[in-house]
Amino acid sequence: MKNIVLILLLSLQLSAAYTQKVKLPSVTFAIENDKNIKVMQRNCQWCHSYGYILNQGKQSKEFWHKIVLKMRDVYHAPINARDEKIATEYLFKYYGNGKM
Amino acid sequence: MHRREFFKISFAAATAIVANLEASNTIRPRDNQKVLPIKFPQKRELILHSDRPPLLETPRDFFTTAITPNDAFFVRWHMPIIPTATNLDTYYVHIHGEVEKRLYLTVDMLKNDFEAVEVTAVMQCGGNSRSAFRPTTSGIQWGSGAMGCATFKGVRLKDILKKAGLKEDARWISLNGNDKAVMTKIENFKRELKIDEISDDTIVAYEMNGEEIPFLNGYPLRLIIPGFYADSWVKQLSDIYVTKEYQKYFFMDVAYRIPDNECECEEPDNLAKKTKPLEYMNVKSYIGYPKNNQKVKRATNLRIKGVAFDAGEGIKAVQISLDGGKTWQSATLADELSRYAFRVFTYNLKPMKKGKLQIMAKAINNKGEEQPFAHEIKWNHGGYKYNGIDSVTVTVV
Ligand code: HEC
Repeated sequence: MKNIVLILLLSLQLSAAYTQKVKLPSVTFAIENDKNIKVMQRNCQWCHSYGYILNQGKQSKEFWHKIVLKMRDVYHAPINARDEKIATEYLFKYYGNGKM
Repeated sequence: MHRREFFKISFAAATAIVANLEASNTIRPRDNQKVLPIKFPQKRELILHSDRPPLLETPRDFFTTAITPNDAFFVRWHMPIIPTATNLDTYYVHIHGEVEKRLYLTVDMLKNDFEAVEVTAVMQCGGNSRSAFRPTTSGIQWGSGAMGCATFKGVRLKDILKKAGLKEDARWISLNGNDKAVMTKIENFKRELKIDEISDDTIVAYEMNGEEIPFLNGYPLRLIIPGFYADSWVKQLSDIYVTKEYQKYFFMDVAYRIPDNECECEEPDNLAKKTKPLEYMNVKSYIGYPKNNQKVKRATNLRIKGVAFDAGEGIKAVQISLDGGKTWQSATLADELSRYAFRVFTYNLKPMKKGKLQIMAKAINNKGEEQPFAHEIKWNHGGYKYNGIDSVTVTVV
């Protein structure tokens, strides 16, 4: 059974004339750390947390490849060809279900 | 100063039901997901899928009452940039386009210058229970807690449009909120409605269950479209743009669409050519008590409780099966708060045999539509509209 570590940071409170005090916690969804985590860091953190990745559960390599392509082609994430491959490998290695 | 806390959660334990089916074959949605010891503003501890954008799911236990408490109500945003400070003196909804008079309405103006109306309605994400679809479909893998029911108070959208004065050839309205994408190329989460399809129950709400709408549910103003899936219920509503022609928006035209055929279904390797936007909800029910894997006492009263709803036809009956769906008995229905609201059902039994006991619940609406078995649900690529018969298995001891 694998554990993930969440790190909670309470962000500074924003004031203004908001009638209620809004403090949005920032939770770090830790993903597996290896030499390729940099590729994940530079490509997959801009628009959403890693929670989106962990939420998917274990999936096939084709599934993860399609996700990476969708991020690039549909949501305009600037992912280069090399990172596209590494990110897919990384996702399949740690969040794969063994199926291609 | 930053306070740091470390949480260890077991990710594998988050998914209670697993299946490895290759063919398109629906299973039961995720259940018994971990509630994390993290509280978001105005919320209690809930199932957390993401903090940015915030995605919070309501655990099963809350679905025993017609009204879901505000602090347990699910949260779903699409864009990571959400204004966290709202100055009500300068916040307004802009109504423009094909209107006689452009309007800038503050929350106070909505409260003071319009008739206030209330509607109790179920808010449900189109992808609620998505985790049931196999093969896995695109999108957040929700259990069944991306829904809730609340009493909303606000102003009829029609009244607002009337005040602005629609021009003769006004046909559509686009609705936009204040949340934004990080990268400018990503479109905002805009929605579009056909003017002659706007009902009297469609309101711009400023209150939820007698309080200000919680920040994470769209404070200070949220569009409420009873009967429709919540992807159209724009949060932090700030812009109403009236047009002659249908505008193409990503989240209307590409995402949140379902096959436009009789079964609203398709095959993974043969996707439907014609699609349509998600609109009305189908009939569904959900057991709030007991929970899966719970232990219950033999020869003691067990009161099953849950909620049922549809798009506004109203619930005719909820039936309970204790033999895997072979025979069904009627549950007792509580009063109907509104035809769009959760209808509470209860069923009493006294289990006499020790061991596993499976409890299933099925809702039937006034049109005679009833829920299919989970395995009968047909696949669609977005994993929308799952409404399989719910089932919990308890152990009688
Ligand atoms: C340019 C912005 C952007 C970047 C960068 C980005 N994503 Fe996404 N991603 C999105 C948006 C937008 C969604 C849909 C958001 C929603 O519906 O809440 C999404 C959704 C997802 C989902 C949920 C499944 C789905 O189909 O919606 C996963 C998983 C995901 N992204 C993984 C990744 C991975 C892996 C990377 C890095 C390779 C990445 N994302 C980089 C914008 C981005």
